[in-house]
Amino acid sequence: MRFHLSLLLLVMAGLMVAFAPLPVPTTTPQERTFEIDAHQFAYSPSEFHVNPGDTVTIQLVSTDVVHGLYVDDYDISIEADPGQSATLTFVADKPGSFRFRCNVTCGAMHPFMIGKLTVGNNSWLYRSIGLSILAAIGFFPLSHLHLRAVQVSFSDRKTKEERIK
Amino acid sequence: MNRIELTRIPFIKNALKSRYPQLAVFIVMLIGYIFAILAGLIGTPVGSHNFSIVFVWIAWWAILILVAVPFFGRGWCAVCPIPLPGEWLQRGAILNPPDKRPKWLNLRFPKMFRNIWLQNISFLLLALFSSVLLTTPNITGIVLAAMLFAAIGLSTVFERRAFCRYLCPVGGFIGLYSQTAPIELRIKDKQICVKCEGKPCYNGSTNGYGCPWDVFPGGLTKNTYCGLCMECIRTCPHDNIAVNLRPFSADLAKPSTRMDEAFKAFIMLGSAIIYAGVLLGPWGAFKDAAYNVGSNAWLVYGVAFLAFIFVILPSLFTLGILNTKSALPLKQRFASLSTALIPLGLMFWVAFSLSFVLTNASYILAAFSDPLGLGWNLFGTANAAWQPMLTSILAPAQTLALVGGLIWSARTAQKAAGEVKVSPIPVIVYCFIVTSLMLWLLL
Amino acid sequence: MKRSELISRILIVAGILLAVGAPLFLWARTPLIHARMAEDGGWSPDLIQAEVGKPLHLKITSDDVVHGFAVGQMDMQSVDVLPGKVTEITLNFDKPGVYTYYCTRWCGLNHWRMRGTIEVSGTPSDPEPATVPLYVSLDLDLDAPHDSPIVPNGKPSATSGQLLETNLPIDQGAEYYRSHSPYQIFADLSNTSLTETQRWDSVAYLWQINTTPESLANGRQLYAQNCAACHGETGAGDGVFADDLEIAGESSMQTMEGAMDMVMQSPVDFTNPRRMLGASPALLQGKILRGGMGTGMPMWGSIFTEEQIWDLIAYIYSFQFEYER
Repeated sequence: MRFHLSLLLLVMAGLMVAFAPLPVPTTTPQERTFEIDAHQFAYSPSEFHVNPGDTVTIQLVSTDVVHGLYVDDYDISIEADPGQSATLTFVADKPGSFRFRCNVTCGAMHPFMIGKLTVGNNSWLYRSIGLSILAAIGFFPLSHLHLRAVQVSFSDRKTKEERIK
Repeated sequence: MNRIELTRIPFIKNALKSRYPQLAVFIVMLIGYIFAILAGLIGTPVGSHNFSIVFVWIAWWAILILVAVPFFGRGWCAVCPIPLPGEWLQRGAILNPPDKRPKWLNLRFPKMFRNIWLQNISFLLLALFSSVLLTTPNITGIVLAAMLFAAIGLSTVFERRAFCRYLCPVGGFIGLYSQTAPIELRIKDKQICVKCEGKPCYNGSTNGYGCPWDVFPGGLTKNTYCGLCMECIRTCPHDNIAVNLRPFSADLAKPSTRMDEAFKAFIMLGSAIIYAGVLLGPWGAFKDAAYNVGSNAWLVYGVAFLAFIFVILPSLFTLGILNTKSALPLKQRFASLSTALIPLGLMFWVAFSLSFVLTNASYILAAFSDPLGLGWNLFGTANAAWQPMLTSILAPAQTLALVGGLIWSARTAQKAAGEVKVSPIPVIVYCFIVTSLMLWLLL
Repeated sequence: MKRSELISRILIVAGILLAVGAPLFLWARTPLIHARMAEDGGWSPDLIQAEVGKPLHLKITSDDVVHGFAVGQMDMQSVDVLPGKVTEITLNFDKPGVYTYYCTRWCGLNHWRMRGTIEVSGTPSDPEPATVPLYVSLDLDLDAPHDSPIVPNGKPSATSGQLLETNLPIDQGAEYYRSHSPYQIFADLSNTSLTETQRWDSVAYLWQINTTPESLANGRQLYAQNCAACHGETGAGDGVFADDLEIAGESSMQTMEGAMDMVMQSPVDFTNPRRMLGASPALLQGKILRGGMGTGMPMWGSIFTEEQIWDLIAYIYSFQFEYER
């Protein structure tokens, strides 16, 4: 009984950590512009942070061969030849952490040419670490109680068997 | 106890016992493998458009780590084409044993190497060169060919499947992780084996060959070294061998105390972490270091890689378990408790692989129609564009895999700790720390 | 042996032979032109034979990065050559001769060196007389410094110059424009009553009437595709390869006898009035045609037509002059 109750509590806590809306600090949307240099096989700079609602302009400057820039989840992209930089403007309406990657084959390590854009908070990371903490901590009392519950039901059965005899 | 015998179903039993279904799969796999070698050697040098890179490191790897290993344990080994030519040569037949067996050396594999250290080393060798291997078709072609020829060569010198059991880099971790799988091959009744004369499951008969994996089925208690080749089902005269469905990670209830396996767990855990950081992270300098084989940066990367796996990870683990009081020596505790890292490592690899598979799976369509990059369009999909798939579920899927892995490894730690009578807390804390690291690297 | 064994063996051997033989056969019969970055070999093959009147079918693939293909001095649209994919193109030649094919998408510092030759044989219909470039007939020393002694205070405006147009004692024809530098024309106007600014504006106007908006647009595109990578998107000599060229200067080719520093150097800054206003269109045409003789400036003689080069030059001067929109 205690085991099932604790399990329920744990699951509820888990659901909360996973899905409860986090307080979103409201920031006024700004216009942000970034110049990103692309070379085989990295972007520089390769990590950015903007606030949700910002209008983001990325100017892609390829410095050796033709490169592209594709933003995961936003599913938008541009490509630039050296000497012809390209511009991508979008509204960062989806919060979270997104990788951007090269979408024009630019040599051997092309599939690993990756950068990271964070819009607002990387809430998935916090939630998942929260869930991990819950898992690591909650594990103990739960398994202890499970063991007790199993032992109790086993001894219950034994006493019943003895009574029947 | 909580096993469902699949071989009780006649259709399944006959399908596994008959050599023909297996042969059909073998032929497809072998032809695919040889074609992959050819594509690697003569096809376009652009990896994303070459059959060898796309079908080995994206398609096959995805099926292996996301489906075959978690759900079928050593299921890939059951259909792998690498040992086949050598084995057919060694046996002198493709199907049932011939009347006259060819005279090969059939040496017993040297005792010193009868462990998984050679496999640990071969995996690490591939891992250190992985950036080049995963992206360069002719290197992949050469490595695939080398494995095929090594297997053939070893089959002509040693008995059974020496390559598979002692050398294959993939087999090392498939074996380790197969302990978590929900299927197993086991005997039904031990007493029957005790009374059995000749033990044809191990020594062979007219119906089949002795276990190519050098396993005595009668003594099989874990999945680690059984390659699911079904030979023993064919040879057992008492119908005493079954393939069972069982709970996940049943084998981990009896933790192993072998050091080679313990270090394999650290090798897999550590390499997943390093790959997540180097290949999927935004740090270009690390990627350059990993790719420019032979440069100073690569040497530093290689040393750091090995230090992380052989020094940092295991020593932190050891520090954690040092204070746990127990009658057992530290070495045994170390090996036994590191079994908790097995489900965690598997989930780390699942989470890591999900990312690059979902991002690049669309290359499979183009490579299917134009495998050599010669401008063919065999199935009409040659111009399929690159398009990442399901990226919105990636973060939740990785979270599920990693947090799920943490819970799974905590449970495993608890059982292993119970066996050696120590507290599992240090191991669980360790698992939590590396899981958080992996979450930070991937998300 | 048993029949099943025999059939299995045959199936396997046949399967393998097919899986190996068929692709090998098809591969051997597919002649491809491979495009690679110049540092890794460039075009291979880099010599193609063709005949007048006979269509030349080419299959081109890239082995590394995005490249492009076009034939110089031919009226054709360039095609992209993508890594791992095959581009098919058919060329038709009317006149025999030696044609140059080249890469049209920047593929590294040495992109412009990625060139090959098509030798087209056949009877020439009319032998074409060779035209001598203007800088040769003017006997210009392309490598001598050509700084303008006087520079304007701001960007000269062609619109303002237009207002002064009437009765200017200068020839406004193309020949005059091409063979004189802006400074020379500024100097020629010294015996008028115009102020310095007005004189510069007149020069700007003269430059404007010797081109058209279409030519400028064409020139802009040619510049973006061919020049901007070194000379900069804003013409300031700060393109993405500018630093590499400057560094390469130290470890460079031998200097020419009697020539000045012909080492690799930082690309010219077209926004520098001192340098640009002292250069005539003929001089610029010469530099573009002949190249920089080891400075890193490519030679475009076999690539651009004369019209393309004049268009490009007109655009380059727009870094110095304000043309009307």
